[in-house]
Amino acid sequence: MATIVKMPKLGTTMTEGTIVKWLKNEGDPVEKGEIYVEIQTDKVNIEDEAEASGILRKIIVKEGETVKVGEPIAIIAEADEELPDLEVVEDVADGKQEESASVLTQEEDKIAEAIEAVPGKIKASPAAKRVAREKQIDLSDVTPSGPGGRIVERDVLAYIQEHKVRATPVAKKIAIKEQIDLGSLQKAPGERITKEDLEERLIEQEIVDTIPVTGMRKIIADSMAYSKQVAPHIYLSLEVDMSKVIDLRERLIPLVQSHRDVKLSYNHILIKAVATALKLNPLINSSFTEEKIILKQNINIGLAVALEDGLIVPVIKDADKKGLAVIAKETQELIQKAKTKKLLPDDYQGGTFTITNLGMFDIENFCAIINQPETAILAVGKIIKKPVVVDDEITIRPMMNLTLSCDHRAIDGAVGAKFLQNLKQILEEPMNMLL
Amino acid sequence: MAEKLYIEALREGLREEMIRDENVFIIGEDVGLYGGAFGVTKGLFEEFGENRIIDTPISEAAIAGAAVGAALCGMRPVAEIMFFDFFTIAMDQLVNQGAKNRYMFGGKAKVPMVIRGPMGCGTGAAAQHSQSFPSVLAHFPGLKLVMPATPYDVKGLIKSAIRDDNPVVFAEHKLLYWTKGEVPEGDYTVPIGKADVKRQGKDITIVAGSIMVPRSLEAAQKLEEEGIDVEVMDIRSLKPLDLQTVVSSVKKTGRVLIVEDDPISYGWGAEVAAGIVGSEAFDYLDAPVKRLAGLDIPIPYNPNLEKHAVPQVPNIIDAVKEVLR
Repeated sequence: MATIVKMPKLGTTMTEGTIVKWLKNEGDPVEKGEIYVEIQTDKVNIEDEAEASGILRKIIVKEGETVKVGEPIAIIAEADEELPDLEVVEDVADGKQEESASVLTQEEDKIAEAIEAVPGKIKASPAAKRVAREKQIDLSDVTPSGPGGRIVERDVLAYIQEHKVRATPVAKKIAIKEQIDLGSLQKAPGERITKEDLEERLIEQEIVDTIPVTGMRKIIADSMAYSKQVAPHIYLSLEVDMSKVIDLRERLIPLVQSHRDVKLSYNHILIKAVATALKLNPLINSSFTEEKIILKQNINIGLAVALEDGLIVPVIKDADKKGLAVIAKETQELIQKAKTKKLLPDDYQGGTFTITNLGMFDIENFCAIINQPETAILAVGKIIKKPVVVDDEITIRPMMNLTLSCDHRAIDGAVGAKFLQNLKQILEEPMNMLL
Repeated sequence: MAEKLYIEALREGLREEMIRDENVFIIGEDVGLYGGAFGVTKGLFEEFGENRIIDTPISEAAIAGAAVGAALCGMRPVAEIMFFDFFTIAMDQLVNQGAKNRYMFGGKAKVPMVIRGPMGCGTGAAAQHSQSFPSVLAHFPGLKLVMPATPYDVKGLIKSAIRDDNPVVFAEHKLLYWTKGEVPEGDYTVPIGKADVKRQGKDITIVAGSIMVPRSLEAAQKLEEEGIDVEVMDIRSLKPLDLQTVVSSVKKTGRVLIVEDDPISYGWGAEVAAGIVGSEAFDYLDAPVKRLAGLDIPIPYNPNLEKHAVPQVPNIIDAVKEVLR
């Protein structure tokens, strides 16, 4: 049915309005509620919404023209609908319009009075304000019934009654504890809010963003959980005096640089040292199955590399057989590949032992989870200068903490300790790596 | 319990106090053999004699002055002012002497006097014999002011007033004299400075004083038929003013109508209204505090106009409905 749109009354004092701009042309479709015209009242310009959906068939009042409130300004109708004869419609509508307009005006006046009395102020009795405050109700949501558009206590109580939510006792308890507004939980009328609804809400509230558990994240999640489930971890820690390693590295840096064009890092030295220690402790270089512990011939050292969205462990194969320069070069290449996601399966498979180093994050010591099916992992902390006692003298030494996580199914404490002790000896006297 | 007239209860209180304490005496115009212009002291002259029921010349200044002086000397005078209007003539003695002496002598002197008289219109006595202005007297530090509205209260309060060591203005209302109510035999007192809930209700609190208390109760009864539950509070004392009882009631009902017999401007209702708005009751107010009081005019002689000069029962009913809108 065709809708004859009239100049709306947009304020108590508004008697006429000027069309500032039609935001739609004749023939354009409009949705009910869509902003489609800008109207100037005696005070302000207001964008008005379409009161019906259809086609803006006819613009009666042109831009810049002024008409009285209630006069037709446009017709919204179906595309093929015959438009009503405006003259007749106006005559018929006039009488009716008078009536409905006066009722409307009264209503509007009441609301307008409430809202416009003092800009930004809502007229409400102190009692209404108190109840609203206590029940955390926004007074602008409450319909006034008091004289002069005043919100009185009964209005707030009526609002509360209307918006009363039904909830199970447990749900109510949770709501209070977690400070959830039960009113914000949408439920079909008559249906009670349950514990489950609140739990859902709690979960929703905690979410900032979601990250799908797929790909690398899924692999990390599964393998870490699996390792902790199947492998009873024991943790062994000790401190290593890194003085000689530091000294060695200083001296080797230029050599390695000239040989392989790579800067020698502590990780490179650690890989070599660990490989050397593993050779002395073959039980640590193993994997565990239900039937047997497999001792590995090759010493392939994995190095955990943090990526933006996870971590990966490229493997330096036969590290015990390689010199520091080669280890440094290979490691650097693998890390580069890892960071650009160019690692091939062969680059990260076949590891027999893993090193993970968080020293660059100032971590002093930590316990790592074993990278199954390996049986141990070495967690490396930051090198920190500390006062230590050497020959009954307190002296400052660069100390580094090592924590070995062992799968107790395969490795007993003493076995792991022996390895760690050997590693300490190697690092404190790096010439051991040459033996 | 026996039903008595207000005037009888008042007389009974006076008589019992005179028997109890020989320092109590009555002084005023025609209070002796004639028994007072309204008959309050009828029979007391015969019982207590001319030394304790003292007739005076027509001089309220002299009556008040004599009472202040006697009180300072240890007596407990009860001075009658024939019409409340004539308090204006007694004002200098009462306000500048009676109200001040105890303070100015650093508490060494006491002024245990009562000065009482009938106020109010409704008897066709015209502008000079119809005024109610208790608010005026309640304004002065050093004076206490009570205005009992029931036979029970008038007996209990006259006793408290006589026993009080300060000057107490005792404002009666002419139209109350012939109202009836239960009055216990023998001695009891009603405390000065305590308001009294005369009727419990939950929709609105009427704070009324003196003649407006029975009028408000009548209005409340009629409103009850319409399902409106009115609490009627008798303010009873204007000085000291019992705001706490008012505040408690307003916190319960959230709406207040104050009904006074005085002209509205600067009346005690404004004091009560300000007290409510400035108290913790503020947060419980659900409608503006409304006052209903006498018009700002001298009381007309014409009986129809006289009726319109102060609140009547239908006015109270309308005002309650307005506050409850």
